[in-house]
Amino acid sequence: MKNKNLTYYALLFLIIVLSSCKNEGEYHSVSDRIKAEEKPYHGTLTSEELLAGRDLIKITEGEHTFLIPERKSQIKSFACIECHSKPLSQMKGTDKAKAHWDITINHANIETMDCATCHNGEDMNNLTSLTGRNIDFNLSYKLCAQCHTNQFEDWKGGAHGKKISGWTPPRASMTCVECHNPHDPGFEQRWPAQFNTQKAIERNEGLDH
Amino acid sequence: MSENKKWYSLDLGLNKKKGSSGSCGCGKAEGGCNSHKEELSAEEFYEAAINASIGEERHKDGFEQVFDVKMDRRTAFKKLTASLLIGAGAVSTSCSLTTSGDAKEKAQIDWEEQFKGNYKLMTDDEKKKTVDRLMRSYELRTGKNISMTAENAAEDVLFGYAFNISKCQGYMDCVSACVAENNQDRNSEMQYIRIHEMKDGEGFKFDKADDNYYHEVPAEGHFYMGTQCFHCDDPPCVDVCPVQATWKEEDGLVVIDYDWCIGCRYCMAACPYDGRRFNWSKPEVPENEVNKNQHYLGNRMRKKGVMEKCTFCVQRTRKGKNPACVEACPTGARIFGNLLDPNSSIRWVLENKKVFRLKEDLGTEPKFWYFMD
Repeated sequence: MKNKNLTYYALLFLIIVLSSCKNEGEYHSVSDRIKAEEKPYHGTLTSEELLAGRDLIKITEGEHTFLIPERKSQIKSFACIECHSKPLSQMKGTDKAKAHWDITINHANIETMDCATCHNGEDMNNLTSLTGRNIDFNLSYKLCAQCHTNQFEDWKGGAHGKKISGWTPPRASMTCVECHNPHDPGFEQRWPAQFNTQKAIERNEGLDH
Repeated sequence: MSENKKWYSLDLGLNKKKGSSGSCGCGKAEGGCNSHKEELSAEEFYEAAINASIGEERHKDGFEQVFDVKMDRRTAFKKLTASLLIGAGAVSTSCSLTTSGDAKEKAQIDWEEQFKGNYKLMTDDEKKKTVDRLMRSYELRTGKNISMTAENAAEDVLFGYAFNISKCQGYMDCVSACVAENNQDRNSEMQYIRIHEMKDGEGFKFDKADDNYYHEVPAEGHFYMGTQCFHCDDPPCVDVCPVQATWKEEDGLVVIDYDWCIGCRYCMAACPYDGRRFNWSKPEVPENEVNKNQHYLGNRMRKKGVMEKCTFCVQRTRKGKNPACVEACPTGARIFGNLLDPNSSIRWVLENKKVFRLKEDLGTEPKFWYFMD
């Protein structure tokens, strides 16, 4: 008799334990849900509309393949050889010396970098790597990646920089030069876009919180 | 169709096809509605209104949540008063000779809007109808057209956000973009995002941080971090809502039905992140600044006495775009994406950067991570 009761209690206990489990679709943490439900997105939402009409180039860097904007057509004075018809050494000393008057280099110090670190006096239509290889103006990120390796890793993964696309595929990322002026890459100090006068008044009067 | 309706319809004669095209609810072409034989008497109307809200319960729907609770007569009548006023307005416009067709349509819309169910329980068809009514209502009131949608959460999507503390420079372009995108009240200068200016070397001290600075930024010896609604996976604000006017959608967005909110502000008190805002006055946005691309759960115009908050720009994100703050940020400090997609940028950040969340020990499971370069 006692044994029977014990069995009943055990059964009851089991039922309670089982029924108190979380419902399907409920997880203990958001990372559990991500782990359980993850799957590459192939839904109906895309960024095609956002990217329509833009000239984009597909690149593959490591395991990441994505789009970047075409650059050459955006450079006002491209192609460079329209003026640089002769090697730079032969053009020096002429009265056209001040052609690039609007460019001052504020990028690293002169021991590390000068014009020739990135530009090839013999081939002005291309950029040049540290080892003297040509780099296309459209792929100028390769030039930056020579020194800024951490930023390059983050950019490839999508943690550094901005997107042209939305969150949906296909991914299209801005390159370094969309935000950073290559000759003066730092960001300026400036005034914030907002000042909340109401908040200031409320705090003055002690109405806040 | 009519059996499936979850609210009481007052037929003002607009949809009437047979008989003389009556210009008023009682079907009379002229002479007004002086004859009380065909008109709803005050008592009948009262009955109907009560019926519509608490009576009969033909279907299980949103009304239960509000009305199927024990309350004393005084509270019950108080709750009915607002509805009755609208009903009375509707009856008086419908039976007046001088009011135009537009006014009648407006009254009809107001009536149907007043007695619609909770958005969470609406079918897609009902969602479309309420959105159509709201667009028409806006057109009738202002003469301008808006585009409002009610897209549901997409499948296999869970929205998440990452914020790079090393990158944020405190420019507050995100705040401006957010206000412009989401039609926040300009008078009270409501803002969903706060950018906190913190002293280097002191860690996160929100009580000592300044979230309303006005000097050139970035200021020497300071760093910046933004807070907004974190769209928690276990949101305390949702648990405390007495009328289920706020809930978590399938794609993880915590949203509010502005038409179901009673303005009790429990959610505001429950949120540990100051993510929610209350409309103390009627929100006003100059007509030329109104963002006319709207979503029912997002940036449509709110009214006085309801809560609102960041929705990760549901009107944008459910179309595949990034939220306005992400797009506006000049430093790329804001990353947005689909947490379920292993190829997304947000997942790369979570897996490759050192991330943390605010007040993680509360167990609210925010879907908003901070990281550093």
